[in-house]
Amino acid sequence: MQLKAVGQGVQRLDINQKVRGTRKYPQDFNMEGQLYAKVVWSAHPHAVVKRIDTSVAEALPGVVRVITYRDVPVNEYGINIYDQPVLVAPRHLAGGGQGGGKVRWVGDRIAIVVAESERIAAHARDLVQVEYEPLPVVDDPRRAMQPDAPLVHENRESNILKHIVIRRGDVGLALAHADVIVEGYYTTHHVEHAYLQPDAALGFVDDESRIAVISSCQWPADDLHQIAHMLNLPEDQLREIVPAVGGAFGGREDMHIQHLAALCAFVLRHPVKIVFDREEVTQRTGKRHPFYMRYRTGATRDGRLIAAQVELISDAGAYASTSIPVLGNAATFALGPYKIPHARVDAYTVYTNNAVTMAMRGFGATQPPFGYESQMDKLAEVLGMDPVELRMKNLLDVGDIAVTGNVMTAETGVKETLRRAALAAGWREEDGHWIKPDLGTPSAPYKRRGIGVAVAYKNVGYSLGFEDKATAKVELALDESGEIARVVVKVAAVEVGQGVLTALAQIAADTLGVDMDKVRLALVDTSETPDAGSSSASRHVFISGNAVAGAAAQAKEKWQTILREETGEMHVEAEYTFRGRSVRPTTPFDPETGQCEPHISYSYATQIALVEVDVETGQTEILEFWSAADAGKVINPIMYFGQQAGGVHMGVGYALTENYIQQEGRPRARRFSEYHIPTVMDMPRQFESIAVESAPDPNGPFGATGLGETPTLPTAPAITNAIHDATGVWIESLPANAERVWRALRAADKL
Amino acid sequence: MLLKMTLNGEPVSVEIEPDDLLAQVLRDKLGLIGTKIGCGEGECGACTVLVDGVAVTSCIYPAMKAHGRRVETIEGVAKDHELHVIQQAFVDHAAAQCGYCTPGFIMAAKALLDTNSHPTREEIVAGISGNLCRCTGYYQIVEAIEDAARRMG
Repeated sequence: MQLKAVGQGVQRLDINQKVRGTRKYPQDFNMEGQLYAKVVWSAHPHAVVKRIDTSVAEALPGVVRVITYRDVPVNEYGINIYDQPVLVAPRHLAGGGQGGGKVRWVGDRIAIVVAESERIAAHARDLVQVEYEPLPVVDDPRRAMQPDAPLVHENRESNILKHIVIRRGDVGLALAHADVIVEGYYTTHHVEHAYLQPDAALGFVDDESRIAVISSCQWPADDLHQIAHMLNLPEDQLREIVPAVGGAFGGREDMHIQHLAALCAFVLRHPVKIVFDREEVTQRTGKRHPFYMRYRTGATRDGRLIAAQVELISDAGAYASTSIPVLGNAATFALGPYKIPHARVDAYTVYTNNAVTMAMRGFGATQPPFGYESQMDKLAEVLGMDPVELRMKNLLDVGDIAVTGNVMTAETGVKETLRRAALAAGWREEDGHWIKPDLGTPSAPYKRRGIGVAVAYKNVGYSLGFEDKATAKVELALDESGEIARVVVKVAAVEVGQGVLTALAQIAADTLGVDMDKVRLALVDTSETPDAGSSSASRHVFISGNAVAGAAAQAKEKWQTILREETGEMHVEAEYTFRGRSVRPTTPFDPETGQCEPHISYSYATQIALVEVDVETGQTEILEFWSAADAGKVINPIMYFGQQAGGVHMGVGYALTENYIQQEGRPRARRFSEYHIPTVMDMPRQFESIAVESAPDPNGPFGATGLGETPTLPTAPAITNAIHDATGVWIESLPANAERVWRALRAADKL
Repeated sequence: MLLKMTLNGEPVSVEIEPDDLLAQVLRDKLGLIGTKIGCGEGECGACTVLVDGVAVTSCIYPAMKAHGRRVETIEGVAKDHELHVIQQAFVDHAAAQCGYCTPGFIMAAKALLDTNSHPTREEIVAGISGNLCRCTGYYQIVEAIEDAARRMG
């Protein structure tokens, strides 16, 4: 097959409209006579709801309806477990736990006020009177695990939502024989997705009497599944249309707004629009999991890893969301991409009254690198060995066995990412030894320079036995001479900014052998486009790409038959479902040993940061940054760069500036000036993206795997290892902001 | 009250409330949805428009302040079917991903390049430091603006 589109930096299909400002996001849609809704949020992180009085609000002129628990046919939802009330009911009416009877975090909802204008709705929501009886707040998962802790969910015996174990070899014996052991207790923080487009949805009844929503989301079919349960309607009486989405990063995997708009349309049979403001997005939607991670790692004197003991505790917040699969992922990646024959992992996720925590770029693979890569640098220091050299000795290769007992296969390209990044950053390899570059002179006498390296890997596709599949439909319009005039690809893969529309069009174009300008992707609409799963798990290029390639190949075959048989047909259609299990079936953890086939495929990254730390203020500046990733074949080098740079942006925020602080379950930040995502001035001054194509996956389309998440994973430990190299202090809690680094310097008497 | 302004070169009159903000008037009353609201607090720059050539965050800019002034939005940047040099540079450098911040960045870049046709990299960085992007990492945006400046000579 001749590649004309795949591998080329072809222009994004949506970019013309985006630079003109004509691409429409959910808040840009309006309908004649639409009503406006505002949510009444919980005023407490944990409280019994005793009474809800909507009468004053309803009496306000212009208020159409105050929707409460009474209006919800089945008052529960949740992406993984139906443990979230849609609208909380007063305790004496809650019955059987459904509807809650109590609020468990500040993102719980009491009511939805619908009015003729947004202004009236906003006024009226303050008039809804709710009587609460506050309960003790449990805001630390380590405390929440204790037997005497207040229960977040009273129908459970414990706040521990899940405990996962992995047992391999004999850790006790191996550690007893280790020449060196290093230890660390590492903590990570809540992080806000901070997508720029606030959640928005327009609910209405469509011309086929379906309850429809135009909304931002990541997985429309799963939304419908949950909304169908909530409204007690069959899915074919529902519809979701997904226009442009202004970022997601895992944050729109759970429903925040679309089910509320659907409920309004269901109750009122009228178009209702809901738009969150920034404060609502910040305080009332899910976050990245904080992890508390204890590591003990043993090695031989010559730098071979022999054993690791890891405990991970994650804060699930008030509801399960995807905390269990996030924990599963974290457990499989707890050791990093290293050969370690003896390992013991205990991973817990625990309910608290903090923010619901959920998917966010990396899905549990983002926190452990801060642990395992800090451990690697501690070990390198103890052994007096170069950190690149130590990693080279231990990284997984094709044929090696990972902690879950699975054999690493063709797409294992991690060593090459390290080699390429190290060489780019100035390391030299001499006689089998790696030698660190000279870092030059700091820009001021009170500054110290340091360089840090970190490696990480991430699954591509759903894991641990959860079925991953995508269906695509390819339609060809033929011209009079029988040539392909136009191609329409129908696949419900949501474009959240990552470039999936363009990548799938490239795959379709080359599979069919047509030019890109003939290929169009249909608007994602559950009534038209078949389910392709979520925009998450770095999976669309691999899973939906295979589906599109399959449908395109079948369409091409049908088209060639038409030409051969001269039937005169002018339209060709083919549909194809790709299933991840057809190339690699994944399996759940064995409950005793954790052994399994965890993932369908992988991508890898090594990052190196050259930093300057101001030892008077603790401020870290990143001078240069290298990001080398192997995600198999690069489908589009321009968008590949964009994923690397954007991933590092999120990693820099994670490492240095972002911290979503809650005090007894109450969030402090309301807006961007109180939650600092990096601006252009916070980014590394020099940035190099290195595309390593050393290990294509024969199962991926054209050998590709997926890059969406991996470039975020090693950023924080690369930076904190660089801070250590510069100053000699270990930063064991994120973010490594000026205050924390200053305190560490002071504690070490290094100011 | 009646707001009269020159909007993208055309005189416009629109009935507004005294506490309406310019972004709301543009979006809800005039249908110019290219101006985005990302924060409503003047902190992210997605709503950037030009008032008498100066970049302002229209989500906190009282609409009545625009009375008698010249307002430019993203919709006025391209001339008919032809993209403005800055827009074309954003296309060529893939400087938009989700695209929600893009109109604001383009307006900030226009304000900069209209007054400083040969900015240094530092001046470009300073010129867009009030605009947030969560997707791109900014490099492509800076490069697009540098390239646009070169093309504009």
